[in-house]
Amino acid sequence: MKQTHADSLSARIEVSGLVKKYQYQPVLDQLSLTVEDGDLCVLVGANGAGKTTLLRILAGLVRADTGQILLGGVPLRADPGIRKQIGYIGHASLFYNDLNALENLTHYARLYHINPLESTVVESIRSVGLEPHQHKPLRTYSRGMGQRLAIARALLHDPAILLFDEPYTGLDQEGAAFLDDRLRRLQGPSRAILLAAHRPQRLLQIATHIAWLREGKIVQHLPVNRLSEAPELRQYLQETA
Amino acid sequence: MFKKPPILILLDLLSIVLVPAALILILFFTPVEAVMGPVQKVFYFHVSAAWAGMLSFIIAAAAGAGYLIRRDLKWDQLSLSAIEVGVVFGLIAILSGMIWARPIWNTWWVWDPRLTTTAIMELIYLAYFILRSGLATPEARARLGAVYAIVSVITVPLTFFSIRLFRTIHPVVIAPSEGGAGFNMSPRMQFAFFISLAVFTVLLIDLIWNRTRLAAAQAKIQMGEN
Amino acid sequence: MTYLQTVWQVFRKDVQVEWRGRQGVPVMLVFALLMAFLFNFALQLSPDLQAGLAAGLLWVSLAFASTLGLNRSVSLERENLALDGLLLAPVDRSAIFFGKAWSNLIFTLLVALMLLPVFSLFYGQNMLKPGLLLVILLGLGAYTSLGTLLAALSIQARTRDVLLPILLYPLALPVLIAAVEASRGVLSAQPLGELRSWIFLLLACDILFTAAGLLFFETILEE
Repeated sequence: MKQTHADSLSARIEVSGLVKKYQYQPVLDQLSLTVEDGDLCVLVGANGAGKTTLLRILAGLVRADTGQILLGGVPLRADPGIRKQIGYIGHASLFYNDLNALENLTHYARLYHINPLESTVVESIRSVGLEPHQHKPLRTYSRGMGQRLAIARALLHDPAILLFDEPYTGLDQEGAAFLDDRLRRLQGPSRAILLAAHRPQRLLQIATHIAWLREGKIVQHLPVNRLSEAPELRQYLQETA
Repeated sequence: MFKKPPILILLDLLSIVLVPAALILILFFTPVEAVMGPVQKVFYFHVSAAWAGMLSFIIAAAAGAGYLIRRDLKWDQLSLSAIEVGVVFGLIAILSGMIWARPIWNTWWVWDPRLTTTAIMELIYLAYFILRSGLATPEARARLGAVYAIVSVITVPLTFFSIRLFRTIHPVVIAPSEGGAGFNMSPRMQFAFFISLAVFTVLLIDLIWNRTRLAAAQAKIQMGEN
Repeated sequence: MTYLQTVWQVFRKDVQVEWRGRQGVPVMLVFALLMAFLFNFALQLSPDLQAGLAAGLLWVSLAFASTLGLNRSVSLERENLALDGLLLAPVDRSAIFFGKAWSNLIFTLLVALMLLPVFSLFYGQNMLKPGLLLVILLGLGAYTSLGTLLAALSIQARTRDVLLPILLYPLALPVLIAAVEASRGVLSAQPLGELRSWIFLLLACDILFTAAGLLFFETILEE
């Protein structure tokens, strides 16, 4: 089931000159990166390097100090409607513990004005294998189940631009394999995927590009098949395997 | 790098000279008010301090707006300094108001709209510092402080009118009359009054400017530490 | 249209969560009733109170009780960072403000409506008057708008639970004064025309705090 979507801009993430300071220190320091239509770019870097900050800025959750962000050629801040093209997975699940899976996803479906509502939600839950648990409140979900539902949430409105922050956290073998497969099917035209991973080895099979965030900048950004040209990066990847 | 600008040095000198000069003017060259006696002279500094406090809070709100638009922490340093100075002037206004009230109305506190509003403003701006101290990053302190400073200053007229309206319905027998100081000002008094206002305005600018420089220096040190 | 739909969805979600968990309204109601008892003994109140005192007690109880609801409303969004989910929505962030401010208003109104008969009983005052309902609507409207704005602010501080009352009460004073005075007037059978100034003041606060929410909510929430 290859996913397609109708009303999309071209899926392209262009970042230039991005600066974000915390406690007077620049976490992102004149960062520039372009993720093209069809790319699946793995973002690597040490803990605290700024991967989460970058993804949150691109998702519109954090405001950068300076810099320009274009999604599909349109500035991120130009129009709130642009967020319809963004699918985000963060460190937290973004769900309400008192509501069940159906209710939570229905809430998001309504926020994104999805039509048809019910069938899309039901199908989405089914596609991540949580149908048997759909009436249980989120507080009863395990970390892995919550993460799977978060994946469903992020993809619910079929966005062109995917921003995933360590999506494998909490997933067991089965869950991880499921996500691998899903990503494989998502990667392709009319979609741009930027995915932060602390241990990126498994993703090198699926990814098209790899970007290294160090000291607030993207120091390396190249296609996976040209990894041999970057010995320092290869070594870093081996160390974090 | 942190050399004091000459204008500021001039302001410092002016303040040092003008405040005692104003004091001497008030003590020796203004007439003694017929009904209240010498204690009435507290009024000159009392009203000037209240005015300076209010002006400080308006400056703080404007500086807050400046930060929200420009996102340069210098604006926040100005805002913080203006509020700090404003709180001090407010305190002076309240204390001098109390000193004035005691011999005349035989009570340390009067629920007069202006005095009450000033007291509430002190609480509002003390809360500002409590808010800031609970926030982790300078950027959060600046951003949220700015919003609070703007919202706070806008509620001041509302607070004043509500208390004033309250007072007209529930008048207290012994209270300063509304819309005035409770006495008529002779030309010499008016002169001294306007001089006091001017002197406090100079003092206000001087204090805020100095305090802002201090805040900038603190920021520089913190940046160096990180 | 999508803006209003989003406001409605945020509101609806809040009601849904409240219905499921019932952490807001019952807690506020119990707290307000406890306050009524506390005041009764602390102030040695006689069973048939003057209108002014009854009005004052009503509003103090509501003001204190509603901070519990306001805190609850924002801490709900902190769990699992659900607030991020709202921020991701493709609509102006002020829609979140309206959705939450109005859900807070509905919950507090419910508490107020349940409180009126009880207070009528305790204090020998017939509080079930339409004029009073209008004052409560306007007063709580302004109070919860300001409260929602300040709750969003205080949630980001370490001291979040204690901070909201400290920020809210001094700023909400004009609302409380106007609400108490207008309520007192209604309870002493004054015609609404005489209470014009207070009602206008309440309306002014409603407009001002709603405008503040519209302007500043996004700034407060976006790091």
